[in-house]
Amino acid sequence: MAELNIDQVIKEKGREKKAVIPILQVIQNEFNYLPEDILKQVCETTDITPDLIMGVASFYTQFRLEPAGEHIIKVCTGTACHVKGAELVYDAFGRSLELPDGKNTDEKGKYSLEKVNCLGCCTLAPVVQIDATTYGHVGIEDVDQVIGSFEHDLNNPSRKAGISGDSLDGQQGEIRIGLGSCCVASGSEEVKKSLEKAVVSNGLNVNMKKVGCVGMCHQVPLLEMIPSGKEPVLYAHVKPGDVNAIIKKHFKPKGFWDRLKSSLFEFAEDIQTDHNWDGVERFELNVREKQVSSFLGRQVPIATEHRGVLDPLDIEEYQQSGGFRAMKICLNELDSGEVVQRIIDSGIRGRGGGGFSTGEKWRIVRGQVSETKYIICNGDEGDPGAFMDRMILESYPYRVIEGMVIGAYATGATEGYFYIRAEYPLAVQRIREALKICRERGYLGKNILGTDFSFDINIFEGAGAFICGEETALIASIEGNRGFPKLRPPFPAEKGLWGNPTLVNNTETFAQIAYIIKNGVFEFTNHGTQLSKGTKVFALAGKVNRGGLIEVPMGITIREIVEDIGGGVAGDRELKAVQIGGPSGGCIPHWLMDTPVDFESLEEVGAMMGSGGLVVLDDTDCMVDIARYFLSFTQSESCGKCTFCRVGTKRMLDILNKICTGKGSPKDIEELENLSGWTKKGSLCGLGKTAPNPVLSTLRYFKDEYEAHIHGKCPTGKCRDLVKYHIEETCIGCTKCAQNCPVDAIAFTPYEVHSIDQEKCIKCDGCRQVCPEDCVTVS
Amino acid sequence: MIMISIILNGKKIEVSPDTTVLEVARAEGLDIPTMCHLKGHDHFPSCMVCVVKENISRKLIPSCTTLVRTGMEIITNDEEVHEARKTGLELLLSDHVGDCEAPCQTNCPAYMDIPLMNRLLAEGKPQEALEIVKRDIALPAVLGRICPAPCERACHRRSVDSPVSICKLKQYAADHDLDQKEQFIPDMAESNGRKIAIIGTGPAGLSAAYFLLQKGYACELFDKNPVPGGALRYAIPNKKLPKDVLDKEIEVIARMGAVFKLKKQIGKDALEALKKKFDAVVIATGEDNAVFTGLDKRSNAFVADRNTHQTEDPEIFAIGSAVKPGRVAIRAVAHGKQVALSVDQYLNNKPVIGERRIFNSRFGRLLNGELMEYMLEADPVKRHEKEGIKGFSYVEMQKEAARCMHCDCRKQHNCKLRDYSDEYGALQKRFFPRERKSVRKIFKHEPIVYEPEKCIKCGICVRITSEHKEKLGLTFIGKGFDVEVAVPFDNETVNALEKTAILCAENCPTGALAKK
Repeated sequence: MAELNIDQVIKEKGREKKAVIPILQVIQNEFNYLPEDILKQVCETTDITPDLIMGVASFYTQFRLEPAGEHIIKVCTGTACHVKGAELVYDAFGRSLELPDGKNTDEKGKYSLEKVNCLGCCTLAPVVQIDATTYGHVGIEDVDQVIGSFEHDLNNPSRKAGISGDSLDGQQGEIRIGLGSCCVASGSEEVKKSLEKAVVSNGLNVNMKKVGCVGMCHQVPLLEMIPSGKEPVLYAHVKPGDVNAIIKKHFKPKGFWDRLKSSLFEFAEDIQTDHNWDGVERFELNVREKQVSSFLGRQVPIATEHRGVLDPLDIEEYQQSGGFRAMKICLNELDSGEVVQRIIDSGIRGRGGGGFSTGEKWRIVRGQVSETKYIICNGDEGDPGAFMDRMILESYPYRVIEGMVIGAYATGATEGYFYIRAEYPLAVQRIREALKICRERGYLGKNILGTDFSFDINIFEGAGAFICGEETALIASIEGNRGFPKLRPPFPAEKGLWGNPTLVNNTETFAQIAYIIKNGVFEFTNHGTQLSKGTKVFALAGKVNRGGLIEVPMGITIREIVEDIGGGVAGDRELKAVQIGGPSGGCIPHWLMDTPVDFESLEEVGAMMGSGGLVVLDDTDCMVDIARYFLSFTQSESCGKCTFCRVGTKRMLDILNKICTGKGSPKDIEELENLSGWTKKGSLCGLGKTAPNPVLSTLRYFKDEYEAHIHGKCPTGKCRDLVKYHIEETCIGCTKCAQNCPVDAIAFTPYEVHSIDQEKCIKCDGCRQVCPEDCVTVS
Repeated sequence: MIMISIILNGKKIEVSPDTTVLEVARAEGLDIPTMCHLKGHDHFPSCMVCVVKENISRKLIPSCTTLVRTGMEIITNDEEVHEARKTGLELLLSDHVGDCEAPCQTNCPAYMDIPLMNRLLAEGKPQEALEIVKRDIALPAVLGRICPAPCERACHRRSVDSPVSICKLKQYAADHDLDQKEQFIPDMAESNGRKIAIIGTGPAGLSAAYFLLQKGYACELFDKNPVPGGALRYAIPNKKLPKDVLDKEIEVIARMGAVFKLKKQIGKDALEALKKKFDAVVIATGEDNAVFTGLDKRSNAFVADRNTHQTEDPEIFAIGSAVKPGRVAIRAVAHGKQVALSVDQYLNNKPVIGERRIFNSRFGRLLNGELMEYMLEADPVKRHEKEGIKGFSYVEMQKEAARCMHCDCRKQHNCKLRDYSDEYGALQKRFFPRERKSVRKIFKHEPIVYEPEKCIKCGICVRITSEHKEKLGLTFIGKGFDVEVAVPFDNETVNALEKTAILCAENCPTGALAKK
């Protein structure tokens, strides 16, 4: 067993109650679970009591009370992954690991398999993470390969190389590589290594630069070539082997010998630029090409200003692009009341989903008389299918910090917190680094910018609880409690963290503050509608051609987002609905595609802005299954405090499960609707109050699908209990299905029409996916 | 103190701003249910039965925690509030696995509190046990010998080995009383000056008299035979029911004031005369009722309401085999108890509803693992069999009574969940799942029992143990639907509740934590 000096940990994290989660995180990291004797030791030497430590340890999903396997395989079950078959992938891993019944750790204790809410790589769905490595587009047939690749990397640890951002004189230009989570997950680290090697071996003098998320997550890894004085060219789906050729297309090797050496490769370059590369979907993209400009053109980057250009941690660059100007204006030219007034005038509303006026919130906090006030950046983005906070924190850390400093100045806050979700290690790392650099440069700490205003920010890492996105639960969590929400009022603005006035704003909200101050209120109110000003960042995913992060003006229609930006539904399928707002939101049917995206309009059609997940559904998606999917998410994330949420969502799920397995009756639909209403009315906090939305909106627009299930039929064939797999007469007897069947439900009969033993079939979908003749049907 | 004004059920009132809506409403004499609320302790709004409506926002809010604000318009009692509370209770009930009353009692036509009788007998208190029996059964010594014992068919102990010998235990208690110099007479109300005619002196008529007399009614019992007892005397052989036993129990009823008018055959005309002379007439003539004509009879039986036993003629009630042929003595005795209530309601101009049974949580059969939990409370000894009508010895009686598994809830008479479910007409079945949780009973604490499946997660005990700084205390483990109140580190309740065991049990709103 690993050694851990618990006294040292307590010394670092503190002995008070509020240290409980940070201490547990250290223990969890060390042992992969929380050994009971160590927890008892913590209770003996700190103010933390046994009831507190066990209450907290058992509340947050990050903590395990039982030992786990050496490596953890996390199958993402976010919305985008769900609609692309994550459940089947999860089952396939279970079969591959030969997990004993009811266990999620294999017999050797090497791997533990679990589902994770959302890894925030929605455009790479289905996504699987093994320890720190993320695998995108994992199909059920890739499972063994993924495990194999992980084992290979385990045995061949490669050294970590960093790209220097230093600029040199006499540069030939710049090469930019995207290093957002999506990019990294799709292999940009490997590309980066090849890039470094190629630059060195060609003796190039170029500025290599890692940039944050460009938003075109469907094209990753991305590489941009910017030769001095020439047009920049963007490459998508780059593989390590392509790098050398790409570089040489744009940059001439420096010395004579290098040029000579390089010329030997010209041959190879010709082949590659002929677009005959192996692999699929890899092509040269020019930013000015029609397709791409339509992806970017309708967008208005405010929170994501200078996307794809900024090195996330390069503070000079941030300053050069107008960073910290807003902070200077506020601290040097405006009093706090004037700052608040500008935010009120901008009309900006909270980007976390609720849509409360941000300026109003600031005004209330400013008006509180208290020696201590807090400001919290809510980065506990937990919606499956949303990853804008992650991208903003990873790519624009300084922008968020600047927004927080301005907020603190305006409200009189003395101390700040970043509350960042546990699943976002890169965001935590970047923010930590950015805070350090800000302190060094005088943007944080005592007497900021030489004024008498002092303010600093801490990081609090969430421990895995969706409910902690709710502000009172978030505060409870920082205080070292279970994430139980409290009744509002009193609002945190009046009585928040440790009873003090507390401003809680969403990450995206803070990311828009500097823009408003710097460019003026008018530049902001220019975008948007009467009641919803400015822009909103969405994570566009699901059955769409071009997914990714987009920032669009409020009031844009759903159709414009799906068709113009997203390039329409993927695979020539028909659009059925768009799910907006995640588990709190609803499904907007295709016939309401001209609904403008603003707070009021979305609510009117039964959806919600939510935090900004936007998942496109096509005609193969079952709406009852979608409702069940979201409800099972909120049900499992309910904190368990109030009756209507704890039991109400459970009973709603019971009914949905009944319906999805063909055991429902017309009375069940009635009761589902009825109970949805009471859960909405009777729950204590936003989670329970909005949990029925996905059910209610699908009942409203797709009741016929519910009725079909009552009659024993799932129209799309998604509900596994209601379908059967068949092999058609057109089968050529290639035996691929028989070889792939994990349960031997298909007899190996070469050159004959195959058939499926229904008794044995587990409906894993494997045969349908491997059949080269499309003769496996589901009905 | 600056006061603010709010509107409460349409009435404008001035209140202090630091009070909760609940405090204000209760001060105004309004009745609002609460379960998770405990005066003087931190708020933990969770059960949501205290919801009221704020009429401007149209929102339902937990009144226990919400502070009053200027201009609030509170409605505490409209249909929506009622329905919200009812639905909330039904959700709690769907996750509350516990029986209020034991199945033996619910299966007993007379609804006798069998588990309590068993416990008193096991403690060696036959006289106290008899008093419990006689709350519901007028002729226990008779029934102890001839009852088909539907209670024993429902007894959970049956699934372990054989049911508790309930009937014989009742016989023991009854015989013990008959062996005393003076037999037990229940508390009698003062005479109310009203007179009831009871036709027939079989088990139904005797039982009706026993209960009506207690309520202060004068009772005259008419019978065509020269000796009272009806079918008990004339249809059952002496070896099954010794007539001295019957005589002794009739004697008790006579001593309570029953007047027997024997050798009187009551026909249609006589019935009319009785109606004039008496305030009400109870027909308990058994299957042999051919003498009456004119009253609505089908298949030779009277038609009476099955709960109130009132016939078309509101002054005439009919019970026992006269309405439901079959000669089941226990049913006849039960009818006698019930008709006393109906007659009393009728003569006091109250709605005639008969015996009202309050809400009763039931979960059905015990699962395999649960039998072991229930057996923790019972003596594992085999059932004591006795041939014929022979009674138990004292030792046998105590041992047999100790076989009872205590299936009834310890809080059945002071459970908020039960009381509110009754008040709001909650239906336990509405959301009850097909697969329920498995019941546990945790006894490792001398004065209390913890039954987690009855817990509604109100957190009162968690707050109490924390406020009293128990070393271990109780805490919430897990979250969401699977959250449980438990002792940290899987320790024992005995270590968790060193100071607060009784306090927790007394304040638990359900039977989850109860005194033994």
